[in-house]
Amino acid sequence: MALVSVANDTLTVEVEGLDRLWAVKSRIEIPLGNVRGATADPGIVREPKGIRAPGTHLPGVIVAGTFHRDGEKVFWDVKNPERAVVIELADAKYTRLVIEVADPRSTVALVEQALRSR
Amino acid sequence: MGRPRAFDQDATVRAAARLFADRGFEGTSVDDLVTGLAVHRGSLYKVFGSKRGLYLAALRQHLDHEVLPMTAALAAADGPALDLAVAGFDGGPAEGLLLLAAAERAPHDPEVAALVAEGLSALERALGHRSGDPALAPALVAAVLGLRLRARAGGGSGADAVRALTDQLKE
Repeated sequence: MALVSVANDTLTVEVEGLDRLWAVKSRIEIPLGNVRGATADPGIVREPKGIRAPGTHLPGVIVAGTFHRDGEKVFWDVKNPERAVVIELADAKYTRLVIEVADPRSTVALVEQALRSR
Repeated sequence: MGRPRAFDQDATVRAAARLFADRGFEGTSVDDLVTGLAVHRGSLYKVFGSKRGLYLAALRQHLDHEVLPMTAALAAADGPALDLAVAGFDGGPAEGLLLLAAAERAPHDPEVAALVAEGLSALERALGHRSGDPALAPALVAAVLGLRLRARAGGGSGADAVRALTDQLKE
């Protein structure tokens, strides 16, 4: 599970609890200017993930860490696919973040609203 | 340099508009889009940023290719303006997308609200021009929207009643 917040033109994703061990990385900060949008997407977990480095992938249990596929670098932290949110980035270290949040609808609204009010 | 985009962006946006018109924004999942548009999930995110980004592009496309040309033709056409508007406003392959956007997304999304307002303003100008009475135009727009909504729900057209009403108002 991850916590998404917005302050001072920066989007912060904090990986909570034990997920920090699996994902290796626990906190990601992205300037809002490099955030393109957010989407609730339960189906993305079924997509091929590519090669993991570093992180943990127990299919059907947890996807956590950095995955490389087709020249894209994607950060994953998802156990429950129903709560997966995709945050698409531009000119950032990651192509996109796929994270599990407590309330996908409100996280998507938070990100989209922050982008609109810039 | 990234890989070339392996899909026709215009065709994808047009197809997305049809899906959104059929199922609404919330009712259309990314899975539905990936399946219905036959594009890779990664490409969708890369090109449009989010489901909302694709939705805005689809609504823009519907406005530019269906709604605004229709209202321009309405302003210039001969024949009963109200009938033409009731028959064709918000029509085309993604018929009803504007009406659905007005009801579903516009209250929550200022950019959607602006696109909806653009379409409705164009209809209002055309009907104001044709009726010769711009002050009457908002009521005519309301009538057109109501009749389109009713038609979608399988109701009768009611256009005769609206015509009688506008005749009465003009007297």
